[in-house]
Amino acid sequence: MPSLIGTKISHTYRFFKALKEVSIELQKGECYALFGPNGAGKTTLMKIFATLLQPTLGSVSIMGKDSVQDREAARQALFFIGHKSFLYEDLTAIENIEFTIGLRGWRPTLGEIKTALDRVGIGAYASQKSRYLSAGMQKRLSLAKAILARPSLLLLDEPYASLDEKGIDIMNESIRDFSNQGASVLISSHDRLKAAEVAHRAGTLHNKGLKEVPITELANALF
Amino acid sequence: MPFFDVIKWILWKDMLSEIRSRESISSLFFFALNVILIFSFSFSVGQDVMLALMPGLIWVAFGFTSILGLGKSFLSEVHNDCIAYLQIAPVPKGAIYLGKLAGNILLMMVVEIILYPLFMIFFNMDILAKIPSLLIISFLATVGLSALGTLFSILTVQLRAREVMFPLLLLPLSVPVFIGAVEATQGALSGDPYSSYRHWIELLFIFDMIITIVSFWMFEYILDY
Repeated sequence: MPSLIGTKISHTYRFFKALKEVSIELQKGECYALFGPNGAGKTTLMKIFATLLQPTLGSVSIMGKDSVQDREAARQALFFIGHKSFLYEDLTAIENIEFTIGLRGWRPTLGEIKTALDRVGIGAYASQKSRYLSAGMQKRLSLAKAILARPSLLLLDEPYASLDEKGIDIMNESIRDFSNQGASVLISSHDRLKAAEVAHRAGTLHNKGLKEVPITELANALF
Repeated sequence: MPFFDVIKWILWKDMLSEIRSRESISSLFFFALNVILIFSFSFSVGQDVMLALMPGLIWVAFGFTSILGLGKSFLSEVHNDCIAYLQIAPVPKGAIYLGKLAGNILLMMVVEIILYPLFMIFFNMDILAKIPSLLIISFLATVGLSALGTLFSILTVQLRAREVMFPLLLLPLSVPVFIGAVEATQGALSGDPYSSYRHWIELLFIFDMIITIVSFWMFEYILDY
């Protein structure tokens, strides 16, 4: 069973058509990189898969669950790292993780949280309020949350933004780990080379539709 | 995810953030203190007249304080787009509403408990014996105001004109709360038997029930669509 099936997804914001009949299918353990120029509809598509938006037309199935009819089950299967960090500024890194994972019905031990924070290289900031973390550290903290959430489908919107070289390496290592453990990963990015290191397939959003691009041609493809 | 666990997590997060920042409690307290100070300097009347004015003064102070406090209820969720995470969290959205509501009631009750002794001091009123019944009335009125305020806070939090829209929505619908609270407070302060103002308490209770149930039901649609 594919982790994600998007069928003929169209989305219109009032009078502006953002997506037109986009179809995509992700198998378990597969990593798909989504590219496209600004305004191509990448974030709209990611928000539809994250169940933040409903498609105007078309359907989305996540782990066999319809994202509109069986929304809560679909949401249990996915984890979304978006442009914003979803962090509460007055809570520490540990507390932010406890809250996020707590709402998913699981309470990780302090040891598990610290291991995840060490894994993303911010173990030393575990007790720091998130307001004092840099944008890159906040991105790493979001990644630590994803590691502990153990989703079947991980959605990453601009995962390399704000990250330094080490951070990008950690992000890519984690994406590989997710794939190896059977989770599907959908990346929306402008950084073709970094995304090509981990993606099994790639596609570009062009003229509101999705076009597959061979990974080997990614560096030279024009979008 | 168990329903009550969600309420507990939301309440835990809100209270911890408030204890750390003291953002709401301090602004609410000093705002209410200002209102009390202005009233205390404005009226130089005898005890009997003051007793008649007191319920109105108390609920003007609490009412304005609730507008200030409840309007900011979802503001912390807008920073870093946390509201989006609440939307996609695999939990019943009504539980998020109840968690937020519990936090708002707790915050408002703390402010009101601090303010009652200040009313006694500034207006030279001996109402110590009536504090238990006043607290019951305050609790019922606070539940009604908070139930409405929590709902309208999520409705208006992403609007540019939220400071205007929030009181415009809250005040007309909270008229039954203010009427019930003022009348019941009048009865309690005057030392009337409970049976003479029981119907106002019942009005508050029924209003609380209806508004909480309707808001609980509407919250999912507001947050998710």
